[in-house]
Amino acid sequence: MFLRLVKGALFRQKKKMLMIAFTIALGASLATAMLNVMLDVGDKVNRELKTYGANINVLPKEVSLLDDLYGVSDGSGVLSESELGSLKTIFWAFNIVDFAPYLNVKARISGRDGEFRLVGTWFANHLELPTGEALDTGINNMKSWWSVEGEWPAGDDASAAMAGSIAAERAGLAVGDVISVSTGGGNGESVSLTIKGIFAAGSDEDERIYVPLSVAQGMAKRPGAVSSVEVSALTTPDNELSRRAAQNPKSLSVKEWETWYCTAYVSAICYQIEEVLTDSVAKPIRQVAESEGAILEKTQLLMLLITILSLAGAALGISNLVTAGVMERSREIGLLKALGAGNAPVSRLILTEILITGVVGGVAGYFAGLGFAQIIGQTVFGAAINIKPMVIPLVAILVFLVTLVGSVPSIRLLLSLRPAEVLHGR
Amino acid sequence: MTKRSMYIKMITSSLIRRRSRMFVALLAVAVGATILSGLVTVYYDIPRQMRQEFRSYGANFILVSASGETISEESAAAALGCIPEDKVVGTAPYRYETVKINEQPFMAAGTELSEARKASPYWFVSGEWPERDGSVLIGQEVADVIKLLPGNSFTMTGTDLAGESFSRDFRVSGIVQTGGTEEAFIFMSLADFASVIGENGAFDVVECSISASQAELETIAARVTEIAEDVAPRLVTRVTRSEGAVLTKLQALVFLVTAVVLLLTMICVATTMMAVVAERRKEIGLKKALGAPDKSIITEFLGEGLLLGCLGGALGSALGFGFAQIIGVNVFSRAVQFPAALAPATLIASVLITGLACLIPVRSATYVDPAIVLRGE
Amino acid sequence: MALLDIKGISKIYGSVKALQNIDLAVEQGEWLSIMGPSGSGKTTMMNIIGCMDKPTDGKVILDGIDISAESARNLTAIRRDKIGLIFQQFHLISYLTALENIMVAQYYHSMPDEKEALQALDRVGLLERAKHLPSQLSGGEQQRVCIARALINYPMLVLADEPTGNLDEVNEGIVMDIFRQLHSEGSTVVVVTHDPEVAEEAQRTVILEHGRIARITYNVGRESRKGE
Repeated sequence: MFLRLVKGALFRQKKKMLMIAFTIALGASLATAMLNVMLDVGDKVNRELKTYGANINVLPKEVSLLDDLYGVSDGSGVLSESELGSLKTIFWAFNIVDFAPYLNVKARISGRDGEFRLVGTWFANHLELPTGEALDTGINNMKSWWSVEGEWPAGDDASAAMAGSIAAERAGLAVGDVISVSTGGGNGESVSLTIKGIFAAGSDEDERIYVPLSVAQGMAKRPGAVSSVEVSALTTPDNELSRRAAQNPKSLSVKEWETWYCTAYVSAICYQIEEVLTDSVAKPIRQVAESEGAILEKTQLLMLLITILSLAGAALGISNLVTAGVMERSREIGLLKALGAGNAPVSRLILTEILITGVVGGVAGYFAGLGFAQIIGQTVFGAAINIKPMVIPLVAILVFLVTLVGSVPSIRLLLSLRPAEVLHGR
Repeated sequence: MTKRSMYIKMITSSLIRRRSRMFVALLAVAVGATILSGLVTVYYDIPRQMRQEFRSYGANFILVSASGETISEESAAAALGCIPEDKVVGTAPYRYETVKINEQPFMAAGTELSEARKASPYWFVSGEWPERDGSVLIGQEVADVIKLLPGNSFTMTGTDLAGESFSRDFRVSGIVQTGGTEEAFIFMSLADFASVIGENGAFDVVECSISASQAELETIAARVTEIAEDVAPRLVTRVTRSEGAVLTKLQALVFLVTAVVLLLTMICVATTMMAVVAERRKEIGLKKALGAPDKSIITEFLGEGLLLGCLGGALGSALGFGFAQIIGVNVFSRAVQFPAALAPATLIASVLITGLACLIPVRSATYVDPAIVLRGE
Repeated sequence: MALLDIKGISKIYGSVKALQNIDLAVEQGEWLSIMGPSGSGKTTMMNIIGCMDKPTDGKVILDGIDISAESARNLTAIRRDKIGLIFQQFHLISYLTALENIMVAQYYHSMPDEKEALQALDRVGLLERAKHLPSQLSGGEQQRVCIARALINYPMLVLADEPTGNLDEVNEGIVMDIFRQLHSEGSTVVVVTHDPEVAEEAQRTVILEHGRIARITYNVGRESRKGE
């Protein structure tokens, strides 16, 4: 009989129940969308922040200070180009977004005064990894803030070059020019290069000319050598543990060390890079790493608060309607009580109905919310939002609690009604 | 009593004397208005707030000499005068000179250390920032090469501007780690720098950290070029552009969320109003039986709805401001600016939304058959 | 001419014949009762007289106007001007005071007039209850407010639906006294009821059965009591 009453209410009051289910669905969809976006926003914003460029700089262990300051190469320490592929084999390989090697050479351009700083690099390199995967990486991905006149050179173009705006002005270069470069002293062999693009970076990069890595290696007579590597990696904001580890990894206990190693802290990734590249020192570029952490944290906190607000809004909306829906049925409840129904069965009846409605609305809302989340992901970040399974129990609990809480005041009110009054319409 | 005062009496009584029921509807409107005004405030304040965070990326605006020489103090001051004061986070002038420690060459930089600290918040200093004369910061690489720790002293030698050689002892107060070229420098105060190298009243470069968008920075740059001809302002595009990109995305995100939440609240308000009207079918029937034309019934319900919207909107603007303030204080640790126009805008929006939400249920109210008041139906 | 002239009306809902070919005339100043068991067509009859429904067939002429031909909009206006309704369940607006409930009727009719409304309340003996909400009034008091509201616009016809159905004997007596007074002042009163005692108060009782007028009784005693 209880089931028949419930069924009767659900089907015969179709319109009202539909309205409640609809509101619950709306609330659930909002909750689903917001929670999914919130849980994924860190990853998305992290990728956006990659436009700030590399956050890890890898140098040879024995690098001379003078090399960096004055561009004087004395051949002390180098990294091996052939090892670079193993960057994608470290524990956090998936978090390594891009990387590019550099080799600096001082060179003369025939017909121009003075020495220029040439930097050998990958413009866009296709890499076959030992794991069997393939990877396209290079500075065209990493230097997204460069404004380029002309175009980025193709990856396999061994005679292409890009000039910084200041270097180009000094040497009077224009896009399409063919230049002949040779190492200082003029006795080295000369290489002819085509200027594919001129860029403005707003930093000292503007004073350099970028050439393919193989060209720089040939001119410096150091085949396979790389003087530094810039790595762009997705990282977790630093905390106390990672700061301690960055000072000295050996100061951690075994358990702490494991936690640190298995978290994408910039210091952990640096440590892992040092493990795979012989004689290397990987240093976080603090300017980027630090700021990323701060911004990520703020964004996540912001989204968390907005999510809480939206959830509160959804909760109030739902409980509002549930309250109104239950109140409307005072006459029916009065009748049931007049027929001798106790408070417990009446409450059970109403709760069962509301919960069934809640389940239907919640399930519909969950899927609608997944759609919402994807719309947000596509419009804002141009990428799909990862669906987190942990959202399902969260939304379920939320809907359950909200419908329950929403119906409590109205049920209490209904129970306090005296059947005679209700039936006489007072 | 006039007809109008009776009308007002009726709708206000309906709200005031049916407190518990109307409270539910009022809550719906107020929550909607809160979300609206709160999110819109956050939306407008995000660039301002986040820009402060982005300043941890350091200088985004650099002044160098147009001629490739140095910038005189006067032109530097003139150029810095072009930057609106409330947007400046830090402006650090730098002078560079090669010096020697243990006969090895290093680069010494003189700067206003307190400003450098503000302009480059990402510097990680082990030890202390120098506070007394004769204390310096040294880069990690310098420390590695000459094996210095904070608290140690070293002797710096070199030639000053006049061509005379000098030798002076300095104390290392801290070691700088940045992962960048700064690690190869020795940083000291301008006074210390002048005491060994000499005074020339000029800087090599001025690094500025300004809390402004790329467009604003470009305007400042244009003004600087006009006022100080020998100064070449440069935007650090890597910072300014990326900042713009991330901020746009964040704003778009909040905008979209606001739109979705708004839509939801609108529907919630509409359903609540529908429930309110449905609850009062009897009353509508009675009014019709008493001879009320449809127009009166519509104006009465709409009047109630609009009054509800007004109250909810006012309540919501206040709560929304509080909410935005909570976000500001918790997320960004500073108060938000509340756009003054937002309060009336929220009020108008909630009145419109409630009015709109009332239309459907009120229209259906006019279909109520007055005969329902007869008998116990 | 009769104030209300019903000529051969029928009302058919689908296959159910609620009223069949009814003829009835109510004179100015008359007190008429309509009686009958459930389903006899009382409510339908009342809806039609009260301008809330129209007959499927036949004519209803109220004060010279054929209301069976009017639009719903005009019916509302006619109801407002010519009819005062009294309900079994009183139907006072819960959030308005007794006085305001009366003024609502004035408001829809023409102009709210507090003085006049107070006089109406005084007439039903509730002057000191003017500022009370319906929930603070007893059933009998509520019905008296309802009557005052029905009379406030000087209707040609007072139509009461089971006016004593929800009242105890004492209040029933008070309400019936008011009706008697109304009648003595010359108002036309139609009372729909199933209570024979209430019906007997009228000059004439129409008894409906299965949608037809089964019989009409004239309460001669009524005339004699009038003199008491």
